[in-house]
Amino acid sequence: MKVHSLISTLIAGLITISLAQPLTVPDYSSIGIEPGTPGGTLTLTLSDPPPRFFYYGEISTISQTLTQQIFDSLVEFDLATYELTPGLATSWDISEDGTVYTFNLRQDVTWHDGEPFTADDVIFTYEQIITNPEARAGDAAQFVFNIDGEEQHVQFEKIDDHTVRMTLPTASAAFLLQQRFFIMPKHKLLEFSQEGGAAAADINNAWPTDGELSDVVGTGPYMLSDYVAGQKVTLTKNPNYWKVDANGTQLPYIDTVEYLIVSGTEAQTAQFLAGNIDQLNISGAQFPDLKAQEVAGADFRVVGSDALFGSPPHLAFNFDAADPDLAAVFSDVSFRQAMEYAVNRERIINDVYNGLAQIPGTPTAPVDGTFYKDTTSLMRNYDLEAANAALDALGYTDTDGDGTRNITPDKELEFGLTYSVDSSTYTDIATIIQNDFSLVGVKVNLQGVQGSSLFGTALSGDFDSLIIAFGNQPDPELRKPIWQPGGSLYYWHRSTQPAEEGGSVNFDAMADWEKRVYDIFDEGSKLTDQDARVALYQEWQEINAENLPVIMIAKPSNSAAVYNHVHNFVYSLGVIPGYNPLPLYYIQ
Amino acid sequence: MFAYAIRRTLVIIPTLFFVSVVCFVIIQLQPGSFTDRYLEDPRITQETVNRINAQLGLDKPLHEQYFRWIWGIITRGDFGFSFFANRPVNSMIGERIGWTIVVAGTTMLFSWLIAIPLGIYTAVNRNGVTDAISSFIGYIGLAIPDFLVALLLISLVLNTGGRNVGGLFSPAFIGAPWSIAKFLDLLNHLWIPILAIGTAGIATVMRQMRANLLDVLNADYVRTAKSKGLKPRVVTNRHAVRNAINPLITIAGLSLPELLNGTIITAIVLNLPTIGPLLYDSLLAKDQYVAMTLLLISSLLLMIGNLLADLALAWADPRIRYD
Repeated sequence: MKVHSLISTLIAGLITISLAQPLTVPDYSSIGIEPGTPGGTLTLTLSDPPPRFFYYGEISTISQTLTQQIFDSLVEFDLATYELTPGLATSWDISEDGTVYTFNLRQDVTWHDGEPFTADDVIFTYEQIITNPEARAGDAAQFVFNIDGEEQHVQFEKIDDHTVRMTLPTASAAFLLQQRFFIMPKHKLLEFSQEGGAAAADINNAWPTDGELSDVVGTGPYMLSDYVAGQKVTLTKNPNYWKVDANGTQLPYIDTVEYLIVSGTEAQTAQFLAGNIDQLNISGAQFPDLKAQEVAGADFRVVGSDALFGSPPHLAFNFDAADPDLAAVFSDVSFRQAMEYAVNRERIINDVYNGLAQIPGTPTAPVDGTFYKDTTSLMRNYDLEAANAALDALGYTDTDGDGTRNITPDKELEFGLTYSVDSSTYTDIATIIQNDFSLVGVKVNLQGVQGSSLFGTALSGDFDSLIIAFGNQPDPELRKPIWQPGGSLYYWHRSTQPAEEGGSVNFDAMADWEKRVYDIFDEGSKLTDQDARVALYQEWQEINAENLPVIMIAKPSNSAAVYNHVHNFVYSLGVIPGYNPLPLYYIQ
Repeated sequence: MFAYAIRRTLVIIPTLFFVSVVCFVIIQLQPGSFTDRYLEDPRITQETVNRINAQLGLDKPLHEQYFRWIWGIITRGDFGFSFFANRPVNSMIGERIGWTIVVAGTTMLFSWLIAIPLGIYTAVNRNGVTDAISSFIGYIGLAIPDFLVALLLISLVLNTGGRNVGGLFSPAFIGAPWSIAKFLDLLNHLWIPILAIGTAGIATVMRQMRANLLDVLNADYVRTAKSKGLKPRVVTNRHAVRNAINPLITIAGLSLPELLNGTIITAIVLNLPTIGPLLYDSLLAKDQYVAMTLLLISSLLLMIGNLLADLALAWADPRIRYD
């Protein structure tokens, strides 16, 4: 009897092992990744202490950076192509009508404490955390569809231990792309959830930084092993991670990842130069100095990459400026076109970004192989004569001879330009724009504000013109609130937004091209045919280039400095769920 | 004397209350709100932000926010919680106060130990070579902002191949148990802030000491003492210095709040785990309870410093009588 049960246990064990199929990462030689060797320690920085270790309990890039190494999502990005690849889901089926998504989960995965990962964890994460409106960094709105004025919710269903089904009220094009949510362990978080008897907002209290670190278990490449308050976070390699490289070597390569908490660019740069940290994301302004040290024989390299993510700055004119005369001027597409002639992109790219930027899309990233439409030929390149001619044609002439054009005989064409003083980049861009505009008789008064209040200033509409940057994403659908007229972040034309929260958008305030853009985003989110979507969004980019809701300035490259003993380095912003090259780094 | 001390202590309470109101009003007058930052993330809707505001109590009327905070302090010693770190303010300040005292204390000790003897020496040997040199260096120390000294020291360390730039420990020793090696590592990091912050302090105290002592040395009773045939060393050390040091006691009392916020920029540049950067971050982030608590503690320290200085003066200077 005993022998029998032993044999059956062995057989069961063998079956489990035969099912255990680690994922071999694709061939990334195109982005310079080669097979590595295990071992070593990598030291990175965090700019602030983590507020807590529970990703969904706090909106924080620090939590995101750590979570990315400790947890996994159902789908991930291919590091080279940004296509969706299997994560915790090995495969998925989408029904004909695009409303039913069935995910087959990886069978051999365990949490860091040895508990098996199952469909229950996935259902728990979606039902109890992500769609919990009280979870601060949850995303309940993503799973509620407004159909004919009625709210309908996505349904989550466990089919068996390794299959989950999500049923949508209606097709949604970017739904799969959004399933890069980090999956959390039910057995550790149940007590904080409504299912476990807690109040809805209690979920935010999970995993404080002074709590038990061994409770923070994920399925990801690294395990949280130590935290010295305000100074250092230490992660150690998950020996049972489910990814291997092409040679079958277990990933991640590096044994220990340390994050030193160092605030401020100067302090971080000093720590990097002293060799206390191995890699640092840098700005174009820091580039010349570090590059010079590299050329002089320093043991590190400075790398730049045209990545999809990252934020291209734009110049916006407030269609609803407080001054009605200015509002009328700014709403006029001919005026915005005239001003585009006076935006010197080449100079900004060369002088401000030290060449580490390129002509932007409108607004998709040029490196985006799917949606990017090259609208460079539609852009009005720097040409002060053309700007002057266009402004003359609009009738804004300098009637009083003081060097500034006039809107009316007793009103100058003069307005404020709001920008963030936190980074020298934006200050320099603002100054260049101010100078060039003055050359065509348009007077700009610089209004620098703290970076933290720039966004609030934009959203409240309390500006004449403004420089700000929004990040690019792999699908325009993910940027809908920014670019769809009437969207919550369509800040340069706020009169298109609903009068009260949840109301319908104000079509009366929209120009014809804005109505078309509105329809494009509406259609684009429902269509499932990718080619049709690409055509729609490319039309939108042409409309943007022509009508200039905002004037795109430049698409900065991402640059980083990294010591030569770190190999396979691929730039990562650090906060893009589903894009994590770190397990492939190795030290030699 | 005792009654005076009690009276002075009691006056602190209404003053602090008034200060707390002023702090709260100033923080509320800042444009924008803590949760504005969240809107930058397109995933975050206005609804989410409103919900977070409700969770944080930011949707409550201002006077209610204020009285809840002050009531927590009075009844439970609870200074509220940090929105940014999502933790009680008490524990945040608690984990930084130790290092703040270590850094500020050693710096003050360093600068006073050098400055007072130097001040005495230059006063006695007035217009000599040492006087000229130390005054010159002192003025430079005063003129150069301490964060610049910190940056120069970092650059010096980097150029000589050192790795002890910023922080109080090397990465390997962070979180390690205490040992001789760890203590040496601490000293190897600590000298940078001590030198950067201390140089300006040396100049101030030295100049003050020198001026005071010169005043006293010209006083009639010193001349009398000298004419009675006392040794110059005895006249200086036993009579003149004792009288000249009184104003410095006041300075020491007033520099108590500097422990907290006197060296913010240097602490940021050097990445020190002290209170200064916390105050700066909380003001920028509109993390109101942290900022208000730190401002409150800062003014409390100022008042305590004043009180201690007055009491110390009363003890040190027999001419002062309060009864």
